[in-house]
Amino acid sequence: MSAAAVPRPDVAPPGPWAFPLPDESVTENGIRVLSYAVPGQYVISVRLVVPLSLSDEPQDREGVASMTARLLDEGTARHSSDEFAELMERSGMVLGASVTDGALSVDLDVPQRFLPTALDLLRQAVAEPVFPEAEVRRILRSRLAEIEQERASAPHRAAREVTANLWAPTERASRPTAGTPASIGALTREDVVAFHRAHVGPQGATLVVAGDLADVDVAAVVAEGLGAWANPEHVVATPARPPVAAGGATRIVLVDRPGSVQSELSLAAPGPDRSVSTGWDPYPVLSFIVGGSPSARVDAVLREDKGYTYGIRASFRPRARGGSFVTAGSVRADATVDALRLLVEILDHAREGFSDKEIRAGVDYVVQTAPGRYATADAVADEASALSIEGLPLDFQTATLRRMRDVDNARLTTAYNDVVTGEWVIVVVGDAAVVREGIEGLGLGPVTVVPN
Amino acid sequence: MPLDYPVHERTLPNGLRVVVSPDLSVPNVTVNIWVGVGSRHESVGRTGFAHLFEHLMFQGSRQVASGEHFEALMAQGGRLNATTWFDRTNYFETIPKGALELALWLEADRHGHLLDAVNQANLDNQRDVVKEEKRQRYDNQPYGNALIDVYAAVFPPGHPYHHSTIGSMEDLDAASVEDVHEFFRRHYAPDNTVLTLCGDVTPDDGFALVERYFGSIVPRPEPRREAVDALPPLTRPVRVERRESVPNDRLHIAFRLPVDETEEFSAASLALDALGGLASSRLVRRLVRKEQTALGAHATSWGFVDGVSLGFIVVDVDSDADADDVEAAVLEELETFALEGPTDAEMDAALAQAERGWLSMLASQEERADALSHYALLHGDPTMVNTHLDRLRAVTPEQVQAAAATWLRPESRAVIAYRTDHESEEVA
Repeated sequence: MSAAAVPRPDVAPPGPWAFPLPDESVTENGIRVLSYAVPGQYVISVRLVVPLSLSDEPQDREGVASMTARLLDEGTARHSSDEFAELMERSGMVLGASVTDGALSVDLDVPQRFLPTALDLLRQAVAEPVFPEAEVRRILRSRLAEIEQERASAPHRAAREVTANLWAPTERASRPTAGTPASIGALTREDVVAFHRAHVGPQGATLVVAGDLADVDVAAVVAEGLGAWANPEHVVATPARPPVAAGGATRIVLVDRPGSVQSELSLAAPGPDRSVSTGWDPYPVLSFIVGGSPSARVDAVLREDKGYTYGIRASFRPRARGGSFVTAGSVRADATVDALRLLVEILDHAREGFSDKEIRAGVDYVVQTAPGRYATADAVADEASALSIEGLPLDFQTATLRRMRDVDNARLTTAYNDVVTGEWVIVVVGDAAVVREGIEGLGLGPVTVVPN
Repeated sequence: MPLDYPVHERTLPNGLRVVVSPDLSVPNVTVNIWVGVGSRHESVGRTGFAHLFEHLMFQGSRQVASGEHFEALMAQGGRLNATTWFDRTNYFETIPKGALELALWLEADRHGHLLDAVNQANLDNQRDVVKEEKRQRYDNQPYGNALIDVYAAVFPPGHPYHHSTIGSMEDLDAASVEDVHEFFRRHYAPDNTVLTLCGDVTPDDGFALVERYFGSIVPRPEPRREAVDALPPLTRPVRVERRESVPNDRLHIAFRLPVDETEEFSAASLALDALGGLASSRLVRRLVRKEQTALGAHATSWGFVDGVSLGFIVVDVDSDADADDVEAAVLEELETFALEGPTDAEMDAALAQAERGWLSMLASQEERADALSHYALLHGDPTMVNTHLDRLRAVTPEQVQAAAATWLRPESRAVIAYRTDHESEEVA
């Protein structure tokens, strides 16, 4: 037998916390440098943000920004693609470049002692790529294969259909960031060269350096590594703006995948970005209460009560400008109709408000996980880079979390109703022969069946 | 030079091993518990049980209601979960330091007194949830069952690693409440468990708190089985062909490897890095960049403790190329590597990438706690987190070559080939 149980302990409240503030400087060639000292973090995280707008891509060459990003380290003035990969890897470095609606970002992580080498290679990648014809062809082919991979994956397939239906068809945001088979098929090396020349330069760029910077003279190392980067032809990016929503009442797109053992469900509505005038602070709390844990409103029913799913998440997803509220996950095929009915009911019912217990748990979760969520160099660097892309102040997290402590039911309900109007874009990826009739029977709105 | 993360270790009178690693940089503590049971301990007809059991650990215990473990800790700013793998099951949470005692109380209640709350209803519910996990992660994914084929092809029937942690639908259906009781009694005991605290706590406070909450759990020592006999490399190639609706042909070329944390395993893992694990590795240079017959090539080595480990190369075949030709090219590179060994550049790159990977992993308090539990439970010494890179750097190019010549031979491969069924659709 075990001894008498120890009584349930009380919890001591946590102390105050603030997101770190960087040392800030500007290089002679115009790069804003934010350096975050995070002691004990021996791998340095570097994030280069070059403001860019996807609306600056030529209309029949969509995806050129992403392809340019992917080709930066595939051959430079001094090194072939093979050589460059070897130089990076011998320096313990990893580099990735990508494009969002507000920027081209180059992310690199490297052990501290290799930081100077890494910044030198970073400059070569952004300033001196030569886009060898063979590498361009290869990266374009690999994008075409990636499109097929995404088509084969239910969550990716659903996401593509959500953006296509959420935003007006004239909006760049309604089409894939990295391009379609038609736009990628039309791309040439010259398009990539021209895009790089016009849109990738140091003016307006931000460089984040985070990690254990003891004994590192960041200003000097950055000047040495990136000071020679220049691009006189660099055109200032068109500022990001929120995409125009497609609008209209609830409609359902059913992507037909015969034989699916599960249906992937997505319910989406246009939502805020983090600079929303009414304040961002209610939204992370709402994500948590509605769909952020196994005991959140969605999974309390669909997972823990019904056993329809491994888990469904609801979250507000900010872009640089504009955003969306998306609830997504997969359910057992024969539970599709009931799961969809319950989801709409749960999401719409939340417009009536939230209990004190839910609000307390949601606020405490978001506020008190912050020190841990931003404990590592890469997490600090990622958030600093996001703040830069979104044009938010450096104390944004600290100020938002401070306001969040005081959100009440009235603010949460207003914030939720600003987004959730009862009009949904619903995408189901599943077997139409099995689920179509039932979904139509729910009477949520018109159902359109499209091939996978 | 070894790393210097502090490591303090103590064993409670009931057999629970406790590791404390103070880190004052963030006002959090991670509690990370490894139990010495994984899918390798499952019996025939009960595959997937260790993982299903892990789900039940969240459905209530003597003083904790179903779902309360998640709810109570998340409401205090806790981030938590659990995972099951071949060699072990782990449970973890990172909480503000003021909630450390609550976390230990909740953990002690389920690790000591789970069975008071297990019932048919929550077994049935979590069985459904786990089936959806299997459908989502395996059955409804392109190539989703490839690794399950790999395990079955590389390891013989009845071997601990022959089946996956997710198990089969039939075996999940067969699981009973009585199985849950038997499994808990057999494996969930203080002497089969390691508890690590990493974060804002002193060793004295950490040991005292764990003693306070876990000290009363009665010892239930059982003879734990020794590792099974070592497996040599396969002597003949094994082949599984799947024709499915996948976007492109994909080859999984898999090998048995030596047991984890041996010099020979380190050497074999560096060989796989040089062959396919790096952007500058041989297969990427040749197949992806030069010949452009592959969309991508990757290599992975997973260290296990039961007599053998697993290594595999995955190649996505370009739609204009022939999968057999690509496989032949991979075999040619294996032969060459086994003869010549790695170049200096390959050794440099593999070691530098391993260094960044290891330091990045330890940068996170959560993952550091996990690594400490791993080494304490499976290798008997948590301080090995500080010397891992030194062990890797001590491996010579000759050892890498020898490991490749022994373990990565073409005739020792198991190939799981996924082929697109586009052609059959077109002629139909």
